[in-house]
Amino acid sequence: MTMRITDATLIRTVLGDIAGLEGRLSSTQARLSSGKQLTQPSDDPYATGRALGLRADLAATRQHGANVDEASSWADVTDNALSGISDVVSRARELLVRGATDTVGASARIAIAEEIDQLASGAKDQANAAYDGRYVLAGTAVHTPPYTPGSDVFGGDTTAMLREIGPNTTIRVNQSAGDILGSGTAAADGKLLDVLRTISAHLRSGVPADQAALGSSDLQRLDATADALGVLRAQTGAVANRLSLAKDRLGQSEQTTVTALSNVEDADLAKTLVDFSTQQAAYEAALKAGARLVQPSLLDFLR
Amino acid sequence: MSISTFLGLQTALRGLTAQQQALDVAGHNIANSATPGYSRQSAVLVAAPALHLTAGAVATGAGALLGTGVDIAALTRARDGFLDLQYRAQAMQLGDASTRAALLAQAQTALSEPSDDGLAAGLQSFWNAWGALANTPTSAPARQVLLDGASDLAAGIRTLDGRLAALQQQAAQQSSDLLGPSGVVHSAATELASLNDSIASATARGESPNDLLDRRDLLLDQLSSLAQVSVTPSTARPGALTVLFGGSATPLVDGDVTGQAAVAAWPPVLGSNPGGELGALGSLADTGAGPLASLRADLSTVAATLVSAVNNAYTAGGTLPGALFSATAGNEAATIAVDPSVTVAGLRAGTGAAGSNDIALAVSALRDAPAGASDLYGAFVARVGSTVANAQHGETVAQSLGDAVDARRQSVSGVSMDEEMTSLIRFQRGYQASARVLTTMDDMLDHLINRTGIVGL
Repeated sequence: MTMRITDATLIRTVLGDIAGLEGRLSSTQARLSSGKQLTQPSDDPYATGRALGLRADLAATRQHGANVDEASSWADVTDNALSGISDVVSRARELLVRGATDTVGASARIAIAEEIDQLASGAKDQANAAYDGRYVLAGTAVHTPPYTPGSDVFGGDTTAMLREIGPNTTIRVNQSAGDILGSGTAAADGKLLDVLRTISAHLRSGVPADQAALGSSDLQRLDATADALGVLRAQTGAVANRLSLAKDRLGQSEQTTVTALSNVEDADLAKTLVDFSTQQAAYEAALKAGARLVQPSLLDFLR
Repeated sequence: MSISTFLGLQTALRGLTAQQQALDVAGHNIANSATPGYSRQSAVLVAAPALHLTAGAVATGAGALLGTGVDIAALTRARDGFLDLQYRAQAMQLGDASTRAALLAQAQTALSEPSDDGLAAGLQSFWNAWGALANTPTSAPARQVLLDGASDLAAGIRTLDGRLAALQQQAAQQSSDLLGPSGVVHSAATELASLNDSIASATARGESPNDLLDRRDLLLDQLSSLAQVSVTPSTARPGALTVLFGGSATPLVDGDVTGQAAVAAWPPVLGSNPGGELGALGSLADTGAGPLASLRADLSTVAATLVSAVNNAYTAGGTLPGALFSATAGNEAATIAVDPSVTVAGLRAGTGAAGSNDIALAVSALRDAPAGASDLYGAFVARVGSTVANAQHGETVAQSLGDAVDARRQSVSGVSMDEEMTSLIRFQRGYQASARVLTTMDDMLDHLINRTGIVGL
């Protein structure tokens, strides 16, 4: 049996078709105006899950970037302080070599000893270098000055301070001043302050044995602290290098994630525009056909 | 036996009356062409019982049957009961699917994902705040930002859970409104009972109350989008229908009973699986096993994972006192909050001296934890998305199937203007011609009465 088409059927079909096309046009329009392929999870649940994951990656990458920046500043301040201490050691070596020569008189030795004492204070000042109100060479006791005037006791600790520079990747950024300068006056720990104290005492004593020690064992010990300092500076430099590499890697990773996120979330403008034009043409055709179909009836042809 | 002189007049009169009635029916159809639920009617014309002429009426000497015109046998409505059943089954599916799609879409809107202000972004800010605290463990601003971030995150989870709970309540409210004493189900049941009475008495008189039948079918259509409807004709009262609603064994309207006593005790008790809009609302409002309840349980799992993982890292594996988040077990999404004991100054970044940041690093590393809060939340959003997408797909399918059945039904019952116009012309011509027959008869009788037997006058 052929289908009997009534006016109601006709109107309903025309309206249904137009409404369907309008719905499609409206969602295409929403994609065009927002520039997003995904406007709500039901558009594509799997892609939404992926978009959320990529957004999380992006946020983490940016935070890691901020961590690296902060760690770099920390490493810079540490390196400056170590470089200052290194200058102190060089100057002390010059003075020691001069003081060890027999031609220097007792009063001149005392003058040199005075300068050595000043250098020891200078080294402590350098060790008290701070970044953003925190002592960089104090271990994790960042609010305790590593050295106070008149005391050679190290106030900080040697605990490592880590920064997260990638997923499950941390890097130690701090050095402890106690490792170079030593702590306290009692023990002969062979660290810089101890060495400088010994040199100063030997310069002042005037005993021939002490004088002889200046040119031999004291010089060796001072060179040993210089070597230890060199190792620490090399470590700090290596950390700075690693941070700079991490910075590059994070930058690339951010770029890649942004691109991937855009692929998942953003609308392909060219394709969407073509879709829009096609749907618009279909919509206009449906309107035109509907108008032609609904209007005439037998009434128009009866007298 | 000779034929009555006036038989022709009578035949013409029958023609006039029948054509006029047929014209009336066409007029009724045209007037109701846009009435919902109306089915087109038609006058069934039959030849009137013939006059029996006795033997010798024709040349062979046999009798004959002489036609006496036309009669209207019945006024029928064009209706296919099988299509009605199909339509109601689809209306029930559509009522269910569209209710689900509408309410679940609201749940999806409450998420506002993917965006920069959903819960996912809140989680990222929270992790990042821990990262910033790890950089500057002693900074008061960093602590403040972290504490605010934690409160915002907890509030965000509570708000989302609250919105889902509000949707459950909304579904329950909508359901009780529909079934309430002033709801559509009650008014439909009341009207069905009185229609049953009118239709039964018309049927007893041998009449076909077409318009009342249309109205009753329309009410049954409307009820079937709300819940499953099944009807059985009453044997005690021909014409009346017993209506079962929503899978209940007690009839909503009892066809055997007259008056409003036929309507079930209010509110009616529905079966366990009523179907239609009421079925969907019942399942959405279900706090134990419905789709919204299941989404809320998932959200609670996200919250529980967040609470336990963060607290574990914050207390260094339970070795330190005090927790960051507090929540009631089993109902984490609704109760998650920053523990009141946590203060800006007391917030722990590390286990050691002022600058230690091992705790902050441990919490910040949770962002990448497999099956951690971020992962679970992503899966939760994807699940909401696919639930809504499925509901919308179901709605589209039910809609197009329903439209197809309705188009077939319209094809049978709908009024076609072109058809009615043609009928108008047909019956108008029939009326005109019957009038001409009457005039011809009149002329004939005029000859017989006034001009016969006056020769010579």
